[in-house]
Amino acid sequence: MSHHLFLLSPSDTPIYSLTHYSTKLPQPTSSSLSSNLPTWSTSAFAGTLTALSGASNATQSHHVQGGSVRMGGGQDRHVIQMIANASLDVIEDVMRKESAMYLKSVDKFNEWTVSAFITPGNMKFILLHETKNDDGIRSFFHDVWELYLKFHTAHSPIRSIVFDTRVRASAKKYL
Amino acid sequence: MTSHAFAALAHIQILVLPVGPIPRTAFEKYAAEIRTFDSIRLGDIPTGMKDERARFMPNPLSSGHLYLSYPSHPAPPRHLPLSLFRPSHFTLGIIGIAACSSSYSLASALEQFENTVLDISPEGSTFPLAKVCFAFEEEECVGNAGLGDTLPGIISIPSVMGNKKLYLGTLLADLCSQILAELGRVYQVLENPVGNEYLNSALFPTLPSPSEMPLSLSSGILGFPSYSSQPELDSSGLAAPNIPIKRSSTSGPIISHTTSLTQRHSTLGPPAAKKRASAVGAVSSHGRLYKVLGDFFLLAGRTEEAMLWYAEAIVLFKTGQDPVWHASALEGMATVFVLDAWSVGQGLQSSVSNNGMKEPWADIYEQLSQAIALYHKAPVHSELSQDYSLLALTYCTVVMRQTSLLFCVWSTKGWGALAFASMLQPGSTSYMQKATSDRSWTNMERLSIVSGVSRSHIANTVSQAHGPWLLHLGPHERLTILQSMASIYSCLGYRRKEAFILREVISCIMDLIVCGREENDLLRKSDIGSANIGSHSENGDEVNMAGKGAVGMRQNEILEGNQSILKLLICSCKVLGVDLEAVGVAKAADGISTEVGRGDSNSSSMEDLEGLVDAAKESFGWPELQVGVIREAIAVAEALPDPLAVARISLSALRTMHSVLASSDQYHLYQTAGRALAVMRRRGDAPAVEYWAGHPIMSLALLPLALHRLPIENLCSILTATPSATNSLLSGITDPFLYNPRKLSGPQSKNLIVQGEPIELTITLRNPYVFDLEIQSISLSTTGVEFECSPVSTLVIPPNTLYPITVVGTAKTRGTLVFRGCIVQAAWGAAKEFLLPVPTDADQNLFARHQSAVKCESGRTKHWGLDSRPWEKDGRRLSTLLPSFKKPPQFLQCVVVPEQPLLRIRWTSLTHGAVMLYNGEESSIRLTLENISALPIDFLRLSFEDSTIGPAQEALSEGELSVFETYETEYDLLHRQALSWRNDKEITKILPNQKVVLSVTCLGKVGCAHGTIHISYSQVNREHEEQAPAAEVFYTRQLSYPVTVTVYHMLECHDLSLVPMVDVDYDIGHRASNSMTQILPEVDDPAEWCLFAVDVRNTYGLPFEVTFEREQAGTESAAVSSTVPPGSMSRIMLPVKKFRLSDDQISQPIPTLSDRQFVVGKSRLSIEEEQAQRELFWYREELLKIISARWKETNGDRHGDLSLRQQRLTLPMLKALRTDVVRVDLTLVTDNQDDGSPEELDYGGGKYIARPNEMLYLRVEVANSTLSPLVMALDLIVDPAEQVLSEGGLSNVVIGKLESEESRDVEVPLYFLCTGRFEIGAEVRILGAPKDSRAGASRVCISVREDG
Repeated sequence: MSHHLFLLSPSDTPIYSLTHYSTKLPQPTSSSLSSNLPTWSTSAFAGTLTALSGASNATQSHHVQGGSVRMGGGQDRHVIQMIANASLDVIEDVMRKESAMYLKSVDKFNEWTVSAFITPGNMKFILLHETKNDDGIRSFFHDVWELYLKFHTAHSPIRSIVFDTRVRASAKKYL
Repeated sequence: MTSHAFAALAHIQILVLPVGPIPRTAFEKYAAEIRTFDSIRLGDIPTGMKDERARFMPNPLSSGHLYLSYPSHPAPPRHLPLSLFRPSHFTLGIIGIAACSSSYSLASALEQFENTVLDISPEGSTFPLAKVCFAFEEEECVGNAGLGDTLPGIISIPSVMGNKKLYLGTLLADLCSQILAELGRVYQVLENPVGNEYLNSALFPTLPSPSEMPLSLSSGILGFPSYSSQPELDSSGLAAPNIPIKRSSTSGPIISHTTSLTQRHSTLGPPAAKKRASAVGAVSSHGRLYKVLGDFFLLAGRTEEAMLWYAEAIVLFKTGQDPVWHASALEGMATVFVLDAWSVGQGLQSSVSNNGMKEPWADIYEQLSQAIALYHKAPVHSELSQDYSLLALTYCTVVMRQTSLLFCVWSTKGWGALAFASMLQPGSTSYMQKATSDRSWTNMERLSIVSGVSRSHIANTVSQAHGPWLLHLGPHERLTILQSMASIYSCLGYRRKEAFILREVISCIMDLIVCGREENDLLRKSDIGSANIGSHSENGDEVNMAGKGAVGMRQNEILEGNQSILKLLICSCKVLGVDLEAVGVAKAADGISTEVGRGDSNSSSMEDLEGLVDAAKESFGWPELQVGVIREAIAVAEALPDPLAVARISLSALRTMHSVLASSDQYHLYQTAGRALAVMRRRGDAPAVEYWAGHPIMSLALLPLALHRLPIENLCSILTATPSATNSLLSGITDPFLYNPRKLSGPQSKNLIVQGEPIELTITLRNPYVFDLEIQSISLSTTGVEFECSPVSTLVIPPNTLYPITVVGTAKTRGTLVFRGCIVQAAWGAAKEFLLPVPTDADQNLFARHQSAVKCESGRTKHWGLDSRPWEKDGRRLSTLLPSFKKPPQFLQCVVVPEQPLLRIRWTSLTHGAVMLYNGEESSIRLTLENISALPIDFLRLSFEDSTIGPAQEALSEGELSVFETYETEYDLLHRQALSWRNDKEITKILPNQKVVLSVTCLGKVGCAHGTIHISYSQVNREHEEQAPAAEVFYTRQLSYPVTVTVYHMLECHDLSLVPMVDVDYDIGHRASNSMTQILPEVDDPAEWCLFAVDVRNTYGLPFEVTFEREQAGTESAAVSSTVPPGSMSRIMLPVKKFRLSDDQISQPIPTLSDRQFVVGKSRLSIEEEQAQRELFWYREELLKIISARWKETNGDRHGDLSLRQQRLTLPMLKALRTDVVRVDLTLVTDNQDDGSPEELDYGGGKYIARPNEMLYLRVEVANSTLSPLVMALDLIVDPAEQVLSEGGLSNVVIGKLESEESRDVEVPLYFLCTGRFEIGAEVRILGAPKDSRAGASRVCISVREDG
């Protein structure tokens, strides 16, 4: 089961991103609708659609269901980023109405649930996850925020190794 | 086809078809008329059938409606298995529209209609249930068409008919009646036990074709589906109902609660059927049958019955495992709720009050959620991909239905009549568009608050439809679902999500295009060179951008398809902050875009400039995603194929995003664009892409002309005025004002260029990319006079560099020439003009403020999210703070002056331009000038400068010099110029190719290292040309000839002294050098003369002969010469007769040679001091006039002047030089021993010789040499005084008043007590005058000896 964290600046530019694979097993996908998918076309554009609809991910999980830990190999990074980006619509909508910093499960897309954390400086932390883990995610976000405040450098990308290791440690702890 | 109207389940779909040769416009007109009937009142439906077909007929007085919808396509054959599961999905009726004329008869129309219907209805389909053909008569053939021959199945509508619409309504009602009747027949089949078995046989069962149906079922359905479209009222009425009516049924649904139901003859049928069915086919549940019944009742507009039967079905489904049908029944119920609410609330404008705890639609929502969950979890046992596909379709449809519920409520501001209307007939209500057209957040939020539905709720609902199962769907359904999702997101203002879906939409379309093309290729492999343009349209996919993100399908071949796909692409990319249209398509093919409109190009170029300012702004967006979408966009454009779009996209990406693109991407994009444009060129299209590579011109500069070609502007007034070099020389460069506003007001300085002569300009280009940027051509953009300049072509700028190039051009006529900028054409692109204004100070100030404002805001965010996209942000952010560049820009400007003659120096007398002189030597430099132009020269002036002028002028302008020094400096500048031209013979005209010789005098002046001869020349009189009347200026050219001057300083004068002659020891004089002895004799009276002496030192390595001359009035001129050997010093002596200047002369102030304004003197001298200074000055001037010095090489003939101007005159010297006011003569007299008469003592060697202890008389003779009487006193000083006895007081001896030229003697007796040397001085003072005003003095030496 994987988690994807993105720190987005107010101009929608990522300044840090992290993919975390937790050892917890994902819940098996329940719907038979997403199984037995046809390969309906061979053109390159079909691949885009397959990826965007999350089908490549689903088939992947279908095949490895017997296996131990899915390493997210089939997850298209580009699609993950697209989903994170698209979820900004909902996040921006909600954050204008609510003052809460932690917006749990604001959006759902394909198999992903999106939780977000908005700092007072309008930085958005976006986490894509598959299972419910409210408290863990909340603690994780707070950790990341604390770290971000320490390493905060305007809106330029964070390249600090210390920041990276600490965020990873926090992810391991809570997710 | 699939309208995602909420109430689609209640819609009877009717297909409208063109039949025969009907013009498109006519068909559209008639079809539109038919389509206006979106509902038909139940009361209007003709009833009258009595058999099973009457089951779904409405009550005569019922108030409901039938809802009609008119899709453009029939359901595809792949959906056939849904025919029982969802009958509303299919076209139940078909209307053909034919235009009948004389040439096209009703019969042929009917035949064609039948054939068409056969074609479109798939094999074994239950539907359509009814069909009719309307034959509209053409206007011109009234009467010709056989109205009389009424064929069954075709209804002719005469053109003369008045109220066609009413008639059409009646016909439609007939058709609906037929459909309802046929529904009854279908149901009759199903309620048979065998039919029920079929119904339960599969997940999505179908009825077999009538031939396969067991004959035992019924004879009544043999004709099914009926192809006769005329309601055969008579015959159908005869068929006996084969459902026995059993009112005693107890297992039926609760019927008794409605009174109206009791009147229905058909309501009691279903329980009976059920009973009977259960008797026959005990295995199968009747759930599905009831559900079908519910569906049919829903279609028939009888909601109460539909509700009843749905409820019944759900009860059965709950026990049995049939989740899909269960969910479908739930959907049906939800629809029934809405229809009921609609019929209750219709006519009420206000929404139903929702004062309850729950929203009124919460139940419906709940039901649909349940249905969604059921569909989602439904197991698919068969491995048929068809089942997956249909299940996915139903799943997506129910999600869209739920979304539609929320969306309609949201967009119509709550649960009310408008919401129902939009749920029932989404097309007919434009209210939704109106409500959501305002995309501002506040408006959206207002809708959310009013309706109680939050946007994120809708978004979350609709996102359920998105998932891997989309792949199960057929391409058409997938597109429809995706486009509905996209339009929902769009209406919600969720732009990013819309973009996400749109990418999928594009992928779908592109996949279809590519696959379709492959199929086509397979089909016609023999066809050679199938140009792919347009071939995509054969797929019939057409994106219609009428509504945002709406995708419509058409069968027409329209070439705009490509453009629409690209539009979609651009729209979705913009959301991610990628502007694919940053590089536009050039308007004119010939690339003269600048001629289109000056104003436009100005403003756009000014935007370019502001763009430069804003370049520092932070970027927007997610670079990885942006690169991704760009790659995809290029792939789409390549697949279309649209080479222009490929080029535009890749170049736009390069232009806007080159800062985030990796170098490999930049290369790739550049090559892609190149390839695409090459393809276009190969096909013969002109390059049509705007210039894209940013602002390529960094600077444009005019290289200065060579100095000898540079024209200089002069006022015409100097032609008439006499050249007065003094002023210019002395005043130097000083401007009396510290700040001179006039100097600043003009543009920097006019660039002067000459008509017809080439000039050079440097253009600095910039390449910000990592690849070699190829520029096809660069030319200058000029206004004003004609300028000829060949454009530079094919230029390659190395990566990441600034690259200067030089262009050469010629101005053709005189006037003003303005360089606006450059017209640059990139490889394969159109030319674009880039303006390069010369920034004024104000501009630069503004620019700096802009930059600092940007810098100040860079860390903060005022706009976030999509608002911070560059094109959204522009104009909002800084323009409020700062004024924009409003002034018209100033450009590089040149004045083109008329043709000028050209001189050159042909020959000079100097070698290497160097001259070597001794100090004070004069030499002459000869220059030979040649006029090498075709114009005559009639104006020639020379001016000079040398290295001594600058420092002197500076010293003068500083004003720290004393008056005396100022005079000296000025004198030096004026009278001792290092270079001068004695224009004894004025050169007036130099004809073309003529040579003239100039002779310039060069004076050796210490400190002069170099000098320059400037020759200004021009052609002033141009009779042959139309001289501009009263031109104030004319232009000259200047030829400069630098001269290196070496001046040897060899003789120095020191220690000028002037000694009174009386003090001169004549003994020495006698032994002095011969020249001295020669001139000394002329000294008759020592008191009248003084001795001028100066040391001359030779610091050079050669001996020089020095001659001092005296030219004094009243004396003969005399000269003293001396040879000064190297390294030694000679003292030159020359007697000078004393003189006295008049008081008037010496009281004049020291003159200034320039007419500078006299600045208040800084010296704080008293009046006396000043007077003394003036006296010194004037006497010195006079002395220098008298004495002149020359030198001559001993061993050569070089000669020159020796300047004495460095020598200063001191006060003692002045005394020596000046004749005293009162002349005092001292004589020592003794009484002659012989006769006692007074006798002068022996005088020799400048002294008297006397004996001691002898009585002597000192005779003091005082003479007043002035013109006025003076009263004087005498002081005598004897030294040593103690050895001398005298009678009376020696001081203050009163002489008395002496008239002019009167003299008086005073005698004082003296007695020398011992031998030795004595000195007696006499001083005459003028009484009443200031203390130290000594009017005259004299001195005498006495040698007292025993032997004297």
